[in-house]
Amino acid sequence: MVTFEAAGAPGTATLPAARVRRIIKEDKDISACGADSLYLISRATEYFIDSLVREAYEFSRLDKRRTVQYKDMAKAVQSIEQYDFLADIIPPVVPLKKPAGGRA
Amino acid sequence: MSDYEGGPAGEDELSLPRATVYKLIGEMLPDDITCAKDTRDLLLDCCNEFIHLIASESNEICEKEAKKTIAAEHVLAALQELGFGKYVSKVQGAYDEHRKQQTEDRGRKSTKLSQLGMSEEELLRSQELLFAQARMRYQSQATQAQSSGSTPPSTSGSQ
Repeated sequence: MVTFEAAGAPGTATLPAARVRRIIKEDKDISACGADSLYLISRATEYFIDSLVREAYEFSRLDKRRTVQYKDMAKAVQSIEQYDFLADIIPPVVPLKKPAGGRA
Repeated sequence: MSDYEGGPAGEDELSLPRATVYKLIGEMLPDDITCAKDTRDLLLDCCNEFIHLIASESNEICEKEAKKTIAAEHVLAALQELGFGKYVSKVQGAYDEHRKQQTEDRGRKSTKLSQLGMSEEELLRSQELLFAQARMRYQSQATQAQSSGSTPPSTSGSQ
């Protein structure tokens, strides 16, 4: 199982704080985000990448492939409920044999 | 776009730096496994989406508490709420380390001054004293120069 340890010293984040802050600020509803919160969100995102990559990797492994591909990501997103918010970004790969209702 | 302030050249939307995310992906996979380029880019989009999701949820929790600034506990609650509870303990651990480091940094910065054994008032007074001494020296040099009728003293000090 692939594990992820912080690239830098513990207590530091790899993702640039300023960029994360700007992304957060894109949401006009958000008035302010404390520095601590910023750090937490950065770290959580790193763990998120780790989880998603690992899960996609599992699918590529099942397929005996050395390259993690789009369809592995799609399957990972489909199979985990918490990743429902990604459904718009990664439309699920629909198997050819079972067309969705209403499609030719 | 001319009205888009900041941000790296060539990026239309605000997103995490590609290189950093690619590096993270590389670190998370075994050495003999690669990730297709379009998959890496997809992952990048997922990250941006994730940040928006957590920030938005944190903000909602924050507003419910009638606060204006998203605090650490709001983020942790948001993670829990969104089904990422497994991240909470890991993130918490990293957060504690982070706070410890910050206190250490602050401690290190103040060590030099505190080692002198003088309070802030004493430091200010000794600073004033040094200024006064320098002023006196400069003034006495100026008067010497006037009385001897020579050119004004250079700043390199007396010979």
